[in-house]
Amino acid sequence: MAILVDKKSKVIVQGITGGAGKFHCERMIAYGTNIVGGTSPGKGGQKVLDKPVFDTVEEAVMSTGADTSVIFLPAQFVKEATIEAIRAGIKFLVVVPEHIPIHDMLVVREEAVKYDATVIGGNTAGIITPGEANLGIMPDIAFTPGRVGTVSRSGSITYYVADTLTRTGYGETTCVGLGGDPVLGSTFAEILWKFEQDDKTKAVVMTGEIGGVYEEQACDTIRKMKTPVLAMIGGIYAPPGKRMGHAGAIVEGRMGTAQEKLDALAAAGAHPCKTFEDIPRTLRKLGV
Amino acid sequence: MRLYEFEGKRLFKQFGIPIPDGELASTPDQAAEAATVIGPSALKSQVLTGGRGKAGGIKIADNVDSARRLATDLFKLTIKGFPVERLLIEPKLDIAREYYIGVTIDRANYKIVVIASGEGGMDIEETAAKHPDKIVRKSYSIVEPLYGFDALGIAKKIGIPAELTKQATAIIQNLYRLFKAYDAKMAEINPLVLTKDGKLIAADSRISLDDDALFRHPDLKEQGIEKRHEEGELTPRERQATEWDIPYLDLDGDIGMFPGGAGFGIMGNDFIHYYGGRPANFMDSGGGPSPENIARMLVLLDENPNVKAIFGARFGGISRCDDFAKGVIMFLKNHGLSKPMVVRMTGNMWQEGVRLFDEAKKENPRLMEKIEFHGIETPIEEISKRAVELARIERGR
Repeated sequence: MAILVDKKSKVIVQGITGGAGKFHCERMIAYGTNIVGGTSPGKGGQKVLDKPVFDTVEEAVMSTGADTSVIFLPAQFVKEATIEAIRAGIKFLVVVPEHIPIHDMLVVREEAVKYDATVIGGNTAGIITPGEANLGIMPDIAFTPGRVGTVSRSGSITYYVADTLTRTGYGETTCVGLGGDPVLGSTFAEILWKFEQDDKTKAVVMTGEIGGVYEEQACDTIRKMKTPVLAMIGGIYAPPGKRMGHAGAIVEGRMGTAQEKLDALAAAGAHPCKTFEDIPRTLRKLGV
Repeated sequence: MRLYEFEGKRLFKQFGIPIPDGELASTPDQAAEAATVIGPSALKSQVLTGGRGKAGGIKIADNVDSARRLATDLFKLTIKGFPVERLLIEPKLDIAREYYIGVTIDRANYKIVVIASGEGGMDIEETAAKHPDKIVRKSYSIVEPLYGFDALGIAKKIGIPAELTKQATAIIQNLYRLFKAYDAKMAEINPLVLTKDGKLIAADSRISLDDDALFRHPDLKEQGIEKRHEEGELTPRERQATEWDIPYLDLDGDIGMFPGGAGFGIMGNDFIHYYGGRPANFMDSGGGPSPENIARMLVLLDENPNVKAIFGARFGGISRCDDFAKGVIMFLKNHGLSKPMVVRMTGNMWQEGVRLFDEAKKENPRLMEKIEFHGIETPIEEISKRAVELARIERGR
């Protein structure tokens, strides 16, 4: 099994006629992803890479049964595109563009919760279930089917973690990019819980970084999980950086340093790792 | 993106939040002139950082002469790396009481939060930590307005006198409207002053906007509010990097970092520390840079006299290995590499990247002699260790 996406997922690309949309759509198809079409308002009826293009997501869903969407559009169009997809019945959305206005993401989140849809991103490298489906911009070479799940805020870290799991023979069930924007469609806690419910995932590697609140927020979920969680946090040696002012700090509590995040996760039962090579060492120790 | 106090107050005025009648001054003469009209005044340094009061950036002038003298001193100040270039001159307020009202985003819960306190003026974070009971905090969905009854409830809880609750309600609602209308990350009135003659007035503003939403507020640009650099003074290399649109920060070590995306930019620096070295910089070299920008990144590292060795990594995702190879080759041909460099390259288009390197080497066998080149077979930790070792060897020369 896998989480969120597998070979049966029926995927559309919103923005399939754009440069990035087309380039990565071709890669996704070559990987074996079940791409059933795409949307581009005003270009309905055309074909791209032999896949049908629709004006609206609703039309795409009606005629292909699509349940998943990857968005390759400029940031200012993301709010409307996600709402359109969610209301047309899409249950899983991958938002690749970065620099989406924060207020827009708050609206997207409201909509997703209301319609029980899952959004990952913005600014995500995507999601991959090796051997089944690759949604987004992740390089195939890093990934291989296996038994460890990964979730990360950074694309480059996702690649290195998978690279390590692949080289050491563990392989991956699903690798999820949460995204690097300040307000994200999904949280570590939510994705970890999906891995907990997946029989094939024998351990999860989560990698976070300095700043934000999503790592600390995962602690309650980790406490409830039977699947072991390995945690890496970037920025242990980062020089003291920008501080969030006043009101923000009250809301988010003390902005944890990387070490404080790692300590909190360890206290919740996660296994801290300092380098990628610590991951296979820890997995061996856990008997995974 | 932070706004200056005077910019924030201009938005307050636009939204019906009462502010003192102030004037901007860029010279001591202008400050004196403003004080002639205003009378006893507060001279407030306009800088994009907090804590200016403690840093001596606010002075009270009782007459025109002292206004000129104090302004002269203030214009010599640099507060946390920000030189004081403008002063906001405002009438000195007779303060009876100070309140705090702020609106911000709770990212963990995806809500907008209104925070208020009957104890404004001081460090609100400290109040929140020591006396959480003195803070009122209410969360709202972004798709809902802040209703009058809610704002009234907040005003009463922080102890606004009965005869002023109507006005306070309007101020809270208007701050909330401003927050939403301009895509703010934070909008604060601190303090909201109750004057001895019974008026509520916003004595300071602190507003932070979302850079990524500026495109839908062209009116701000007309007011001179544009995306700005707000990190204090830059080093010459940081300034150069900013011009080239490369996220770059100088650090005090000797290993030049050229690590790929922002996430591994941070973690790659950790690895260098972990293996006993010290990075000379932080750099985010990901996000699909052009070959030209790849070449520029190497210029930043190679021309830095502190750099003894260079750590390079490329995991092609949205960035392509062929573009990476083109950029490195462009740099080697036009500029030449004077430091030893160890680099790992894999990911999207890696075969094409390797082919480009091989071709360039065939053309000029000496081109890449200072570069140790690795692919996916070498763990990234080995590259980090090697960079630390190369730097140690160079230091020993």
